[in-house]
Amino acid sequence: MRKMMLIWTVFSQLVSIAAFADVSDGQKLFQQRCISCHTVGKGKGVGPDLQGVTQRREQAWLHRWIREPDKMLAENDPTATALLKEYNQVPMPNMAITPEQADQILAYLANPTAEAAASGDANTAAGTTSEATSPGGSSQAHDQAPTFATRGRTQNIAFFSFLFIALVIVLVFFWVGSTTSNPQTIDMKAAYKLRKVFFISGSFVAMGILAITMSKTPYADALTTPDNVIYATAMQFSFTFSNEPVSSAQELSTVSPISSLEIPRDTLVEFRVTSLDATHGFAIYNQQGVVFAQTQAMPGYTNRLRVRFSEPGVYPVLCLEYCGAAHHMMRTSLVVK
Amino acid sequence: MDLAKKNTLAWIAITLILFPILLLLGILMRTVQANGLSAAQEWFYPFMTLHGVGMVGVWYVGAMACAERIIAKYTKPSAAISTFAIVGTTIGVVLLLVCVLIGKFAAGWYFLYPLPFKGNWPVWAATTFLLSITVLGATWLIWSLDLLRAIAQKYSISKALGWHYIGGATEPDVPPAIIISTVSLLACVACLLAGVTVLVLFDAELIAGVRNDALLVKNLTFFFGHVLVNLSLYLGVAVIYDVLPQYCDRPWKANKIVAISWNSVLAIVFMAYFHHLYMDFVQPTTFQYLGQIASYMSSLPAAVVTIFGALALVFHAKMRWTLTSALFYLALMGWAIGGVGAVIDSTIAVNSKFHNTLWVPAHFHTYMLEGLVLMVLGYYYHFVQENAKLPESWGFHKVILSMIVVGGYGFLMMFYISGANSVPRRFATYPAEVAHGASYSGFAAVFATVFFMGLLLYAIETGKRWLNVRG
Ligand code: HEC
Ligand code: HEM
Ligand SMILES: [Cu+2]
Ligand SMILES: [Cu+2]
Repeated sequence: MRKMMLIWTVFSQLVSIAAFADVSDGQKLFQQRCISCHTVGKGKGVGPDLQGVTQRREQAWLHRWIREPDKMLAENDPTATALLKEYNQVPMPNMAITPEQADQILAYLANPTAEAAASGDANTAAGTTSEATSPGGSSQAHDQAPTFATRGRTQNIAFFSFLFIALVIVLVFFWVGSTTSNPQTIDMKAAYKLRKVFFISGSFVAMGILAITMSKTPYADALTTPDNVIYATAMQFSFTFSNEPVSSAQELSTVSPISSLEIPRDTLVEFRVTSLDATHGFAIYNQQGVVFAQTQAMPGYTNRLRVRFSEPGVYPVLCLEYCGAAHHMMRTSLVVK
Repeated sequence: MDLAKKNTLAWIAITLILFPILLLLGILMRTVQANGLSAAQEWFYPFMTLHGVGMVGVWYVGAMACAERIIAKYTKPSAAISTFAIVGTTIGVVLLLVCVLIGKFAAGWYFLYPLPFKGNWPVWAATTFLLSITVLGATWLIWSLDLLRAIAQKYSISKALGWHYIGGATEPDVPPAIIISTVSLLACVACLLAGVTVLVLFDAELIAGVRNDALLVKNLTFFFGHVLVNLSLYLGVAVIYDVLPQYCDRPWKANKIVAISWNSVLAIVFMAYFHHLYMDFVQPTTFQYLGQIASYMSSLPAAVVTIFGALALVFHAKMRWTLTSALFYLALMGWAIGGVGAVIDSTIAVNSKFHNTLWVPAHFHTYMLEGLVLMVLGYYYHFVQENAKLPESWGFHKVILSMIVVGGYGFLMMFYISGANSVPRRFATYPAEVAHGASYSGFAAVFATVFFMGLLLYAIETGKRWLNVRG
């Protein structure tokens, strides 16, 4: 493992040297977080061309906008609302940008063509994008992969069963392949008998696994009632939690959203998940960065996802169904108390 | 040389030009996900779409081209329609390139409704994409129907499906490749009809503004996609059934068991697609359970009859190991391993943790890249070498095979580890929670490059013989 990490460090250094030579942190952040919707001087994308934006708008407005556009839209900030209208009601998502990161990005936007050295003073801030703590973002960084202990039981069983069976298949193929160095006629009757054994035992194994696993499905049953119902509405590229259902984009602006969702631990929550445009995903990750529960957010339908949280903390929610240019940035989070 | 053989040569050329390009797009995607080449990030999703549709299409036509050649040994498909298939496919590919490279169309390979209408690409790009898929679908439908016609003319469909074997007869002799091809082509007609229905629904919304039902379209889409990918593999298996025995010096004949197994595949494959909708909780629950049962059951005939049969064929055989026979053998292994990954993911309880993580590309890349691709490449080499008869170097071929195996499985392993660690699929870059996804991407790009170089060596070997045959 150590060795792997070492090799990786060397490799990633090489990649980053190749890719980011002469690139400031602000530019790096911009390329990682913003480029899928914005350009600098190359015209409109999902959002406006940001060339000269630091002259167009006030510094404080920009600084806040980059960090919490969702809040500003909710507060009906006039500039933000006008922009939203101009950009076909596609809201810019909250990407959990920290104040320092916002400074770096703005420094880059103020002077996009400058050499890295010019904005070198910003380089002292951590070069990673993962220490976000703002309300819309996650609380923890997971540069480290989950370990056996944190990966989740289902994931471990699935992964190691796969590795084991794959290994057996490889060994059998190599063994059978090696027998060709010693050609013989084989007894087909015996082979057919063996096949029968395989078929019968295979069928039993399959039925056994079916019986065990089919009782563990995530579908809501009619017998239990949830303690708490939360409506989750997806729209490119954000989620809205509310206590009432939302069935259209107009309703989305009249309904009162839950700005920071808190859920008591050990209660059964039902999320009623839907979408107002494309199909999205609604996947709750736990604090170890492992998928905890998920369902699809499909327009015209409401999926009921039931979960019971036992550990308090911040749970990120990611969109897991590809939904367009900023799919990988579509996210929210909830807090379990 | 007759026209049919010329067409096979044309397919070989088309595949060997398109595959490396699409593969490079794959490496590019992995590099972007590793946080290298940020400038290409805005192209991630358009390239993902091109790569996905392109690869599925290339390996479907590759498998069809090989199967056509095998079917032509026993009966006579129309040479004119075979040429038509090349022309139609080329037009479809050009339209696809236009909508992605100029229109930046990026709805993903299965263009899930209503995303094509909701993206940040112009309407003409979506329309061109739908047109491209319509041209491809219509072309392939006609091609499949002609192959079925040719088979039915010689055997009748019931005999071609081996029903007489199931009834207890042993005559007439129907080659297993014909039985499997018939099963695959019937599945193909069904899935293309579902695909056509999807396109009609899209057009109705585009032209007449009729709003569609997202769940219905998703069912049709995955019926189409799932069956198309599976039948491509079956066609490849049909080719192996026909050609591998020539290298083992033993016959591989159809019998009752082979017939039963492939007929049950035909019945089961249509129900297994439900496993793509497990996370749509509004889908009737009966379908969900049916999906898991069908997914498990569809692996039994494949594993117990085909894989077991192939191993029995090779066991202590007087084997002639060449690039072709080794690729076939490895392909069956890749099919089996990918199948295991698929069956695990088709367990509903597992799917709720693995759905739309990189486990999904992990398993389907296994049976495509280390399965179907090797089947088709194996047959292509067989075809040109049989006609060119140039001297071969087994040592050099072993180098090629090692690069394909080490590069391929290294690349795949990174997908599997990522999936097990909850890294989502289709993320241009990874957020903080799954930032480790970037490391796996970096390794994967390196491994994929090894595969790519192995492929280039293969292309040189096959290309030399291709030129020789072409004369
Ligand atoms: C999902 C696409 C998306 C992403 C990602 C995104 N934006 Fe935006 N951005 C928009 C849209 C759309 C608007 C227009 C306002 C609206 O509709 O909410 C906008 C507006 C802006 C504006 C105001 C422009 C003006 O003319 O006043 C700034 C500044 C901005 N974004 C900066 C950023 C930065 C910095 C990032 C990266 C941290 C970023 N955006 C990421 C979509 C995005
Ligand atoms: C070494 C060769 C290949 C490489 C490096 C590669 C790489 C990739 C990558 C990085 C993705 C995106 C994964 C993600 O969701 O984040 C992808 C998706 C995909 N690949 Fe490949 N791939 C290769 C070969 C193939 C082959 C042979 C096929 C044959 C069918 C294929 C079909 C697909 C499909 C269908 C998708 C999904 C596209 C989508 O989600 O819309 N790939 N590939
Ligand atoms: Cu989404
Ligand atoms: Cu999404």
